[in-house]
Amino acid sequence: MIEARSLTKSYDDLTRGPVAALSDLSFRAEPGQVYGLLGPNGAGKTTALRILSTVLEPTSGTAIVGGFDCVTQPELVRHQIGFISANTAVYDRMTAWEMVEYFGRLYGMDDDELRGRMELLFERFEMQEIRDLLGAKMSTGMKQKVSIARAIVHDPPVLIFDEATTGLDVLVARALLDAVAELRDQGKCIVFSTHIMREAERLCDRIAIMHRGHILAEGTLDELRDRHEQHDLEELFFQLIRKQQAEHADAR
Amino acid sequence: MSWRNIRLIYAREIRDQLRDRRTLFMIAVLPLLLYPLLGMSVFQLSQFLRKSEPKILVIGSEQLAENDGLPPLFEGAAFAPGLFDDPAAAARFALEFAEAAPSADQPAATLEVETSPPGTGREQQLNAAQLRLKSGDIQVVLKFPDDFGERLRDLRRQVQAATGGTESRTSERKVPDAPSSAGIPELELRSNSVREKSRAAHLQIEQILNVWKSQIVRENLLVSRVPANIAKPFAVKPLDIAEQRQQEAVLWSKILPFVLFIWALTGAFYPAVDLCAGEKERGTLETLLSSPALRTEIVWGKLLTVMTFSSATAILNLASLGFTAQFIVTQLRAVSDLNLSQGLDLPPLGATLWLLVALVPMSALFSALCLACAAFARSTKEGQYYLMPLLLVTMPLMMLPMAPGTELDLGNSMIPVTGVVLLLKGLVQGNYAEVVRYVVPVCTVTLLCCHLAIRWAVYQFNQESVLFRESERFDLRGWMIHLVRDRQQTPSLAEAFFCVAIIYIIQFFTQLAISANAPATADFGYLTLLLFISQVVCIAVPALLMTIVLTSQPLKTLLLNRAPQAAACVAAILLAVFWHPIGQRVVLWIHQLYPLSEDVTARSESVVRLVETAPYAWLPFLLMAVMPAICEELAFRGFILSGLRHLGHKWWAIGLSAVFFGIAHPVIQQSIAATSVGLVIGYLAVQTGSLVPCILFHGTYNSLMLASTHWPALADRWPVLRGLSSEASPSGPFIYSWPVVVLCGVLAAGLLGWFYRLPYQATKEEWLSDARARQAEHPLPSGLSGNVE
Repeated sequence: MIEARSLTKSYDDLTRGPVAALSDLSFRAEPGQVYGLLGPNGAGKTTALRILSTVLEPTSGTAIVGGFDCVTQPELVRHQIGFISANTAVYDRMTAWEMVEYFGRLYGMDDDELRGRMELLFERFEMQEIRDLLGAKMSTGMKQKVSIARAIVHDPPVLIFDEATTGLDVLVARALLDAVAELRDQGKCIVFSTHIMREAERLCDRIAIMHRGHILAEGTLDELRDRHEQHDLEELFFQLIRKQQAEHADAR
Repeated sequence: MSWRNIRLIYAREIRDQLRDRRTLFMIAVLPLLLYPLLGMSVFQLSQFLRKSEPKILVIGSEQLAENDGLPPLFEGAAFAPGLFDDPAAAARFALEFAEAAPSADQPAATLEVETSPPGTGREQQLNAAQLRLKSGDIQVVLKFPDDFGERLRDLRRQVQAATGGTESRTSERKVPDAPSSAGIPELELRSNSVREKSRAAHLQIEQILNVWKSQIVRENLLVSRVPANIAKPFAVKPLDIAEQRQQEAVLWSKILPFVLFIWALTGAFYPAVDLCAGEKERGTLETLLSSPALRTEIVWGKLLTVMTFSSATAILNLASLGFTAQFIVTQLRAVSDLNLSQGLDLPPLGATLWLLVALVPMSALFSALCLACAAFARSTKEGQYYLMPLLLVTMPLMMLPMAPGTELDLGNSMIPVTGVVLLLKGLVQGNYAEVVRYVVPVCTVTLLCCHLAIRWAVYQFNQESVLFRESERFDLRGWMIHLVRDRQQTPSLAEAFFCVAIIYIIQFFTQLAISANAPATADFGYLTLLLFISQVVCIAVPALLMTIVLTSQPLKTLLLNRAPQAAACVAAILLAVFWHPIGQRVVLWIHQLYPLSEDVTARSESVVRLVETAPYAWLPFLLMAVMPAICEELAFRGFILSGLRHLGHKWWAIGLSAVFFGIAHPVIQQSIAATSVGLVIGYLAVQTGSLVPCILFHGTYNSLMLASTHWPALADRWPVLRGLSSEASPSGPFIYSWPVVVLCGVLAAGLLGWFYRLPYQATKEEWLSDARARQAEHPLPSGLSGNVE
């Protein structure tokens, strides 16, 4: 469903020259699976997910989503995905209903289909009371609900969550994780990036631990634990990062 | 591109903007309030102005007290009504007469004033007047010197005596010697130029005194029995054949386009900043970018929104201004007797229609420019900074047509914005016959600018470095090092534009230097020097330097990395030969439509004469065909076209490089012809991937142009030439007969087709945009395509 092959992304930096935000990233995520990208800030998670959502172009490598190439067929890819990120805000001067309706139309849905789907979503996420509330007046939790509704209104086979729980309180974060699990059970292919270990442990079927644009380790939670002989994910994470930093220092 | 998506985005953006109080205020409320408020203050001010009568202190008026033939300056406590066209106007000046100087308080003593020194009383009076003038209590001091009246009367007596009788003339002639040695009497008019009112009063009094002066002259002449006409042998009667309506149209044609376009720009700016930089700031841009809407659809949706607001602002402002002006004029006419109403009736309907027609492309242009600038901005605050540069660029273009003497000609019609304003001026004035031949250049340039601006906006939206720009510490040295250290194989788009700018700037300053140091008589050596400078120094050297410094593969940049196919080289030469008759026809058309100015004709004739003095026959060909072929190709089809190909559309790259090539030619008629040839050469460069065929084409083409100037003369010796030509005009270009042109056209088309079949090397960007364009061939996944197993 999602396949990233040797994705590299570098930026020109005036003083340092080209800086790699991602180097040689490869992974594969299947339908009915939550694929977790776990890493600290600056690990390259957002860059990778922006490439998958076609907002950024990779410097090299290919990304295939739902059978379409992210670079040469970006519009087709965008039809296949729902993208939720800390950076994808809701419009201040639009109500929840208008916002979801607008994106549903942009996805090419016809009116009847859209209407039915929206009623369903507004019911499921308990959004009836914010239906006619302007984005500017919503709380963070409400906004995140609208974002999710906006991203899944066209029922895409692929969903990308980029640090989606950032800034949410425990209750709303919990509800979001439940929603992700539900979507997975519906057979969606989900990529979920986070820096919170507990979320990854709870939700992800496969995890890639990222640091400085590299994948340090990849596999199911059990595979990772066995391979590195460490049961605690947090410890495992630190162990891997320390190892990479040591290698990095040696290389210099 | 789907219109449905554009409509969706447009509808959303409009609704979004209408929910924004700031935008609504700027667009609707401000114009509705601004002009009535302005009008009201003007109205108040005019009432105030009318009430304030200039106060004039008159010192020494007792000089004129004895009324013995001098025309009256004062009558009672005011100016004499006879001095004004409208006698009632005399009451508008408040006169204050200073008391007669203490030393001359008796009427009899006045005559003795010239012998006695001016009393201290007079000085005190003057000092006090000076202080009052400074404080603004009075506006003007009018001081008659102590002997003023006496000397005027003396003059009168002399005139009388001079014409009295021939026998007394010799003795009388000595009398005037005494006063005339002291010069003519001087009346002092003191004012304070720092105070506006004082300055205005000064001018008014000066006028009154002039009238009085001419009255005195007339009476003196009457006394001397000389016809009064002697001081005014003839008069000029101004007669303007323009009708009142036309005069009004001229005034409107100057004001309206300016007001309209300034508001179109301002009205476009704020929504554009909110729609781009504002969305970035609020984080909703990424949401939109990850939706299936194409970047082009997003830009078009936003562009139409900005255009709507731009046009609405312009129209509302115009309407509000018109309404207020109408109202104010009526009011002013009622309260003042000044003829302010002239030329301020509402503009004719036709003019308004033309304005609305022109508003569409102009607001499209401004909207696209604003959108591109706003897309670049990281935040609304940064976006606001870009208004100033935009205004600085567009304002002079809008002001230029208002300068006296600026009329629509080919050169002006090619300037963006200015051309439209001038065309509009002509249309509003109703000079259809005159302006009709400039419709094509103006429309072409305007549409081209619109298209380029829109493309630029789309380009900005496709640049992830623009959309996700992060603030970075700018360091000039670091940036320069970065340019050289991280250089790409071929120049970037920005570097190509930079090269064009550098070439134009060097050309401009060289031109200035050359015309400042032109020798009195030019010889062939001087021509050689000029050609060398204009080609090698201005064009080839900057391009080559930039190639070496800014690219990692200079040969690839200059299209010299591959040996050209021999067939392509031969085909290029043949194409030049076939293109030559077509090019000559194009030159003829251009010259017929837009005749060369006399200055340009004289200059080109002098160049032709200089060429004839060449020591060797091959030397002009080397200088005017081979050298430009190499230098211009290295720059325009080498560095610049290589950079432009990063645009991702080969036709746009070819077109732009041709336009840049055209502009590099000094004479505008030459530029148009060069642009058409530039298109062909750019096409050769892209299709063959080599600069050699381009140089061969250019060299052959220029050689034939140069050689064909001799052909009318050679036609007698070679009858075949006479067969080829149509009516060979002795001064213009050598023109081939129609059958020759058509035949060559067919052959050239065949060759162009042959070039088209060559496997051309697409750049990465061209390949990508091709691949993306092919997406439409895939069936779109349906909305509810979930639950994929």
